Amino acid sequence: MATAPTSTYSPSNSWERARQQQKKSLFRKEDWVRSDGRNFHQCRPAFLRTGATNAASGSAYAEFGSTKVIVSVFGPRESKKAMMYSDTGRLNCHVSYTTFSAPIRGQGTDNKEYSSMLHKALESAIILETFPKTTVDIFALVLESGGGDLPVIISCASLALADAGIMMYDLVSAVSLSCFGTNLVIDPTTEEEACRDGSFMISYMPSRNEITQFTLTGEWSTAKINEALELCLDACSKLAEIMRSCLKDNVLS
Amino acid sequence: MRELRVLLNQTQKVRLQAALQHLRDLSFQASSPAIPVTIADTIPVNREDGILKGHGTLEFNGQVVATQCGVVEQVNKLVYVRALKARYKPEVGDIIIGRVNEIAPKRWRIEINFSQDAVLMLQSMNLPDGIQRRRTAVDELNMRSIFEENDVVCAEVRGFQHDGSLHLQARSQKYGKLERGQLLTVPAYLVKRRKQHFHHLEQYGVDLILGCNGFIWVGEHVVLGENEMPEDQESRMENQEQNFTPLKVRQQICRIANSVRLLSAHGFSLSLEIILDTAEASVSSNVEINDMLGAEFYVQTAEREVQRRASLLKKSRR
Repeated sequence: MATAPTSTYSPSNSWERARQQQKKSLFRKEDWVRSDGRNFHQCRPAFLRTGATNAASGSAYAEFGSTKVIVSVFGPRESKKAMMYSDTGRLNCHVSYTTFSAPIRGQGTDNKEYSSMLHKALESAIILETFPKTTVDIFALVLESGGGDLPVIISCASLALADAGIMMYDLVSAVSLSCFGTNLVIDPTTEEEACRDGSFMISYMPSRNEITQFTLTGEWSTAKINEALELCLDACSKLAEIMRSCLKDNVLS
Repeated sequence: MRELRVLLNQTQKVRLQAALQHLRDLSFQASSPAIPVTIADTIPVNREDGILKGHGTLEFNGQVVATQCGVVEQVNKLVYVRALKARYKPEVGDIIIGRVNEIAPKRWRIEINFSQDAVLMLQSMNLPDGIQRRRTAVDELNMRSIFEENDVVCAEVRGFQHDGSLHLQARSQKYGKLERGQLLTVPAYLVKRRKQHFHHLEQYGVDLILGCNGFIWVGEHVVLGENEMPEDQESRMENQEQNFTPLKVRQQICRIANSVRLLSAHGFSLSLEIILDTAEASVSSNVEINDMLGAEFYVQTAEREVQRRASLLKKSRR
């Protein structure tokens, strides 16, 4: 993709911008078909396995389309001595990307934003009073980032926590949704995420009918939020069923 | 411990599957079927009133739900969820083996297979010269001569501290530093509490200690007596050279250790009989020590276990 040398300085190549705008308008058409052939309200097929890491107390591996995540849980184990005595346990989350996770190879980064979001999504689901003065460490490694990373990380992490035997109120399943004009598209891929108008992500505990985390960006009207909420809650319940059957297979074997 | 990776060929796989199926049928006959649950599954209870909610359960909307994945067990009115990957649950009087993590003022912090390090106080430890006296500052400075970092220690649980960590004591002669052997890590639920945890295997000349926390010690036999700890480094070094462990004893240690590894890979409960059984079978079938962890012996052990349990069941029925 050669750039024609221009005599004046301009912030972006006009050819690039035209391509971007073309893509955006494509996504707004009513009859747009998604690149992997799903319809707007269809999530990617989920592949979940527990017991991926031997060294960890609990671990899980999730593959949602091309997003592959592995989560290991260590704990409960000793807190650092600097921390004061606390009646409740601590949760320590760490999300990192491998160097080969993005299409363009880059440095493996430590995603602090995702780490704190993972913490907020999970801390209300775990019964922290059962392990005072100790810490549970959650390490999430994104092997391939194909879009919708954080929901996959959250679901995989709650599966790993269940595998580790940590007491929880319920399994947390998470789903994200993107908005393109009037279209609501569930479980977006990276290219869809790049040109979206707004995003909506919830982490939900189905048996308790409680939302642990709700993230909304962009411009949304009340009607659209309601519709998106319904879609996502339904998707989360179905995902939780899949997670449950994965755990049951583990228990029975 | 790293899981045992065994490559089985087709016939061996078939035999193993058959043996495991037999074991499942036998255990099904022996005990009532257990209900597996996952998190937030409702636990079916007959009488809503008078049920005691035990470990791993929670009351929600008038129903009893599980907070852990596992199997539901019921003892009279107590309903609880037994987790499959059960963590070690310490009780007072348990025999424990651990590794010294660090030396803190007047205590040692010992790593056992638990969420927190256990604490062994200087006062709970016998002094080398055996005299019962108050520990002075000099004793505190000489703590390193008793146990150093990364030493393997055997002790007994004395109680719990207020934050849930364990308090250990090592006042008897049979507790203390363990040398000249192997420390094995197995899942803690494979070691059940018995009357005896210290075993001396006469025919092999080996000591076997089954720690309740899942650490197993297999080592050279130590004669229990009034051991006088040599005060200085040189005499200790000389002692070690003179008491070099013979090759035969080392081989026996490896053999017993391999049978423990094999049984824990299968997931069978560890007890003296089954470990000795496995070791004897390996000797009688002339299996090399390193071949014990191979595919063929792995499958044979499963088949032997089937026979053993079937005969036990017959005996208990009569």
